[in-house]
Amino acid sequence: MTETVLQTQALTKYYGSTLAVDHLNLKIPQGCICGFVGRNGAGKTTAIKLMLGLLKPTAGSSRLLGCDSQQLLPAIRQRIGYVTEGHRLFRWMSINELQKFQRAFFPKQWDDKFFADMIEYFNLPKKRKIKHLSNGERAQVSLALALAPNPELLIMDDPTLGLDAAIRRQFLEGMIELIMRQGRTVLFSSHILGDVERVSDRIVVIDKGVLRANCSLEEFRAAVKKVILSFTDSPPADVDIEGLLHCRRSEKELELILVGPADEQITQWAKKSGAQNHQIVKMNLEDQFIEFTAPPNHRRLFQWEEK
Amino acid sequence: MLLAAIIFLAIGGFSLRAQAYFVQSNWLSWGLSPGSVVEPYRLTHYSPLAITGIWLVITSIGLGLALGVRHFLIPLFTRTWPFLLHRSASRQMILGAKLTAATIAFVVSLGSVWIGLYWYACRSELFMVPPPVRVFIEGWLFIVLGLVVYLGTAMTALSKARWYTTKILGLAFAMVVICMIFLQWRLSWALAMVIIGVVVLLSQIIDTFLNREF
Repeated sequence: MTETVLQTQALTKYYGSTLAVDHLNLKIPQGCICGFVGRNGAGKTTAIKLMLGLLKPTAGSSRLLGCDSQQLLPAIRQRIGYVTEGHRLFRWMSINELQKFQRAFFPKQWDDKFFADMIEYFNLPKKRKIKHLSNGERAQVSLALALAPNPELLIMDDPTLGLDAAIRRQFLEGMIELIMRQGRTVLFSSHILGDVERVSDRIVVIDKGVLRANCSLEEFRAAVKKVILSFTDSPPADVDIEGLLHCRRSEKELELILVGPADEQITQWAKKSGAQNHQIVKMNLEDQFIEFTAPPNHRRLFQWEEK
Repeated sequence: MLLAAIIFLAIGGFSLRAQAYFVQSNWLSWGLSPGSVVEPYRLTHYSPLAITGIWLVITSIGLGLALGVRHFLIPLFTRTWPFLLHRSASRQMILGAKLTAATIAFVVSLGSVWIGLYWYACRSELFMVPPPVRVFIEGWLFIVLGLVVYLGTAMTALSKARWYTTKILGLAFAMVVICMIFLQWRLSWALAMVIIGVVVLLSQIIDTFLNREF
């Protein structure tokens, strides 16, 4: 049976009267690469900080590698790599000094060769101070520092934020390096769905602090569908199909965003509703995510209509 | 730290020498001569380290403020606390390391200079009356005042109070301790106030740091 490395139970966090994380129940099995996605302010960073015991929950609990997040022992922290949001490192230190600093906390696990290889791969000047590095270079140092102790669980908070496409690719390749090692688990939050699609095998969607999805990437890709139905007259007023997320109408068309129903169910409903024809449109992950997390009354800013 | 030591050494040393010459050129007019019995009030007024002590207080408070800002406030602005806290060391250890580093900084920079100046004042034949041991202890007390300011700054930085007035309570408390000491100068009183200041601030810092969200 696969071991659960990360588990939260009704994890809730309020900032004053603002609800940031709402009864989050999450289970991440060992060995998976989990993309943690959500819109800005969805509660990703708060959830990650709660899991790492950097914030205190208002209610609920979370466990990392079997240990309560609020009482994470140094020995447990040693097994968890953490890449902070914005790659905040000590600006006055050089890469060499940071390496020595970090290595002191992981005396048995630290892989000097791996760190040196990564720094060389990213072509980073070892003697340069962090404050003189670009955003991308800081991200690379941050990743090398998190990976060199060979962590069992790697948690990264929006690691590719603000990086250009080339640096992002290098960064992801660095991540894949860890993924190649067996039994390692990665949880990384991101806004860039392309990155999630490239490396993840599991997706966790959080919206306004509420867990909306926690499944394999394939399941998510198969579940969220866009259906366009054409009618000879105006579309029916009531749309009572299972798993309906959004419904957009035009004069003779109905655009439905659905979660869950099988293609046969859609076909049956299309017939029942009197649609002239229907089309299940293939969506990319980004579109699926946007539709999945859009509010119910969401309207496009610009509605282009053919005249 | 080095800057504080250099400043104190330069200004303290200069004022010590200047005072030595001043005492030397005036001792006859004060009716004193080498080997004469000196009354306590004269010892206080003409102690070779009286002026140097003022500079020690100023440098010590400055160093306390600078270290407090460096250790606790800057990581908040640069958001490096999560990077520092997530490692194989408990919060107690991290706080202990910071406090120990600060204490060592005070001892190495100001303490060593103070020992040097006191030794010079005792050995120098420029002075008519060598400074008593009490003056040496007072100097160390002045150094500990800097540590009180360091703790006050740390408390202010760690405070999660919403209003600035409540946020600066830690630093204000440290200043009150210093004012109380100098309003009624007595060694025993000063020692008691410093101990109270350190204990109160330290207990607050430990409690806040171990339970604070970062």
